[in-house]
Amino acid sequence: MIAGDNSSKSSFVLLRIGAHRFALPAALVAELAPPVRLHEFPHTSNSVLGVIIRRRRILPVYDAGSLLLGREGGAQQFYLVARCAGEKKELSAIPVSGECEMATGQVQPADDDHPAYVAGRLVIGEESVDVLDLEALIASTPARGAESIRAEAQA
Amino acid sequence: MSAAGERSERSARRGKPEAVILFWVANQMLAIAAESVQEIRSTDGLAGAANEIEQEVVPKVRHILEWGRRTCYVVNAGAHFDLPVTRPTLVLILRRMRIAVLVDRIDRMTEIPAVYPLPQAFAGDERRWYRGLAYIDDSVIPVVEPSGFLASEEFAALDRAIKPGSPQREMEGAAQP
Repeated sequence: MIAGDNSSKSSFVLLRIGAHRFALPAALVAELAPPVRLHEFPHTSNSVLGVIIRRRRILPVYDAGSLLLGREGGAQQFYLVARCAGEKKELSAIPVSGECEMATGQVQPADDDHPAYVAGRLVIGEESVDVLDLEALIASTPARGAESIRAEAQA
Repeated sequence: MSAAGERSERSARRGKPEAVILFWVANQMLAIAAESVQEIRSTDGLAGAANEIEQEVVPKVRHILEWGRRTCYVVNAGAHFDLPVTRPTLVLILRRMRIAVLVDRIDRMTEIPAVYPLPQAFAGDERRWYRGLAYIDDSVIPVVEPSGFLASEEFAALDRAIKPGSPQREMEGAAQP
């Protein structure tokens, strides 16, 4: 991770998912984890890929690439470990490329037609990056029952 | 939090060791508390004890098993966990339940130091399926909740389906997926 100008109180971690950059409040981010083993097992929670083990904890891994970009998420090698805001407050991981950096900047309101998971726009120089609301992103795809998954697969 | 969730969190906090049976269904290893399993039988040895039932409400159950003085519903674990179709060779007859479970093979019996709660991120059927997760030989293995194989409404539907007069026939090869 590259440390930039973080003298302001509002600092963010910029991460790359697929070809896109997003920002997460640095206060929520615990670490950028190396490419550890993803453990998978049967479940019906759409947005979850499996779990990883970090520092003797079992952490769920959210499929942020698919949630944000559809299937263009692409191969990600590292995991960004962050604490979900809101009710869950659970340490979770999202696959990211290794390119993460710290940044500070002013957060502007998101566009009127912004998805619920965009909490605002971080303006860094001439660039504008969507600030993710991880909790809202995860909530955007509720868990389905196995029956509905089977029915969909058969359709 | 469910009773199962509270139990597993307490168990994980105490770090109480627990004997489990590791078994395979398709390409997935799962664990079940050894104390939950009364018997493990080959499906070949069930001839005469297993009967096919004709019902569509609970597709993962296609047979009943007369065992001791109990009538157990035979749950195909592959169908239950939505895993690829296999040909199960063993049946786990659960203790104090009217449930038997078709599985592919037993890996081994082992002791786990703790059952860790399922992360809250898992919010679907898996919260009924699993008591939690175990960490065994560098792998995370789900520990199944025995009562999660059949919900009470599924029991009720099956009980209605096998009421006297419903069509049943003795089935050879009760393990057909």
